[in-house]
Amino acid sequence: MQNKNNDSLPIKFEQLVVGYEFPPSSYELKVSVIAKYLEAVGKPNKQNSPAVEFVPPMAIAAYTMTAVVQSLSLPPGSIHASQELEFFKLVPVETTINCRGRVAQKLNRGKLHLLAIELDVQNQYQEKVLSGQATIIVPS
Amino acid sequence: MSVLTRELKLSDLHQGDNLPSVVKHITQQEINLYAEASGDFNPIHIDETFAAQTPLGGTIAHGMLILAYVSEMMTAAFGKSWLEGGKLSVRFKAPARPKDIITITGKIDSIEHKEGIPYVYCGLESHNQGGETIIIGKATVKLRS
Repeated sequence: MQNKNNDSLPIKFEQLVVGYEFPPSSYELKVSVIAKYLEAVGKPNKQNSPAVEFVPPMAIAAYTMTAVVQSLSLPPGSIHASQELEFFKLVPVETTINCRGRVAQKLNRGKLHLLAIELDVQNQYQEKVLSGQATIIVPS
Repeated sequence: MSVLTRELKLSDLHQGDNLPSVVKHITQQEINLYAEASGDFNPIHIDETFAAQTPLGGTIAHGMLILAYVSEMMTAAFGKSWLEGGKLSVRFKAPARPKDIITITGKIDSIEHKEGIPYVYCGLESHNQGGETIIIGKATVKLRS
């Protein structure tokens, strides 16, 4: 996976405020990148899936999540609590995607924090291909 | 109740139909492979020494890996309609761990038309071999015309 993100330092969790926008990242979804992803998820039977010609939407979601988390310094042990996703457009292999993340909510729950991040992904033609929201549990 | 196959016509879909379930054996090797493929190297997934010292007591699979299995089921059931018109909302109820056998299941809750376009609403669940719920959620598919 090739991330064309800028090299800015990760922002600390404590510094995040609602509305903060993470640095945008771009990924070129090359055949080799998607092949690696498909191998990791147990490569579905080609007969059952058109997802070989098109990028599996969960791969796009995963790269977007990684792009956001890489620009954020989260305490070890942070885990995913919930996920919402919507897919708008087929994404052929070799597409370049542009990923954006924004802090939608930040809540304290005793010894835990909840962080909700809105995700938005466009292709190289500025067409929306995916959006969603991830909620992460962050330990104190 | 019938089991769906991919790219069915609307007339083939019925409320109560089961989606084709997906069964996966989770291994640490697969979790490591997923970390490499996704770039998510959170130590809770790949560092067994670190993970053993957390309240989780050991490594866990990435939530997005489990969602990849959910998407595999939805793609098998709805084909391109899922890839370009799918919507998903899930909660992670318990972690999936190495050596777990995870079963993803889904069922059509309803089929509705909005402005002439059919939408299929599905309930989703995932359980481990002990019957513990791993994820629970809902999905909607806007069917291709």
